[in-house]
Amino acid sequence: MAELSTNQAQLLVALQDLEEMIQEAEDPESRKKLEAMGFPLENVDKLRDAQDELEERIKPQMLARYRRIADRSGKAIVPVVGNVCTGCFTNVPSIFTSKVNAEKVISCETCGRMLYWP
Amino acid sequence: MTTDELVRHMSAELFVPALDATKKDDVLQELTGAIVEGSAVNDGAVVLEMLRNREALGSTGLEAGVAFPHGRTLAVSRLTILFARSAKGVDFDSEDGGKTHLFFVLLAPPQDHGNLYLQALGRIAELVRQGEVRGQLMEVEDFDTLVKVLKQEAA
Repeated sequence: MAELSTNQAQLLVALQDLEEMIQEAEDPESRKKLEAMGFPLENVDKLRDAQDELEERIKPQMLARYRRIADRSGKAIVPVVGNVCTGCFTNVPSIFTSKVNAEKVISCETCGRMLYWP
Repeated sequence: MTTDELVRHMSAELFVPALDATKKDDVLQELTGAIVEGSAVNDGAVVLEMLRNREALGSTGLEAGVAFPHGRTLAVSRLTILFARSAKGVDFDSEDGGKTHLFFVLLAPPQDHGNLYLQALGRIAELVRQGEVRGQLMEVEDFDTLVKVLKQEAA
């Protein structure tokens, strides 16, 4: 099984997933539901450490861009489904999906969010 | 969530009756590999990273030999549930210290606002609380029988 690469888009997706997990673990309502099912959520500090490690692997300017978009739009990265940006529901030009761009972090031309092809 | 609704998120391609791995991280890797192979999920590395982080938060291995690796990830576009079994059992840091035999992996997209995956998790947890269901799950040999057991239609 492949591990996370140095691909910045992939690292940013992993970071956003992780931040979502931390948020859920700290949200009283979700926490209550998960704990009632028997899941211990005791090590949020370990997730914070993992967050620091991931952030270190992301280029500073990329991380700054991610934070800026997250502050403005909630989610910095959104999936593209059927050539549509799920952040603003506009079409993404197919040129963006070409392999030439596989290593780049592409932003939606309309809403500015970073795009991810799941 | 009803069991009928629950099984709609499962599929024969995500039915793994005999896990090979015997160590926790190897199991997570095998489960992730099975998801990539059996579904529209492509980015196994992101899924594996999320599942590892979830285990770091607290083991999803509950008592009575059942584990529920789960979480939200951008790598999936809809709720995806995989069933896997290890006859030998795995040390999965379970709550009661016993070996884990049955695995239900639940992956949900972040935009799952209805908290569908928490509903699914709750429903499966409720079903496997019954010793009889767990016993039948240890024996199922195909996906159709798995569905029957979950729907409690098994003979």
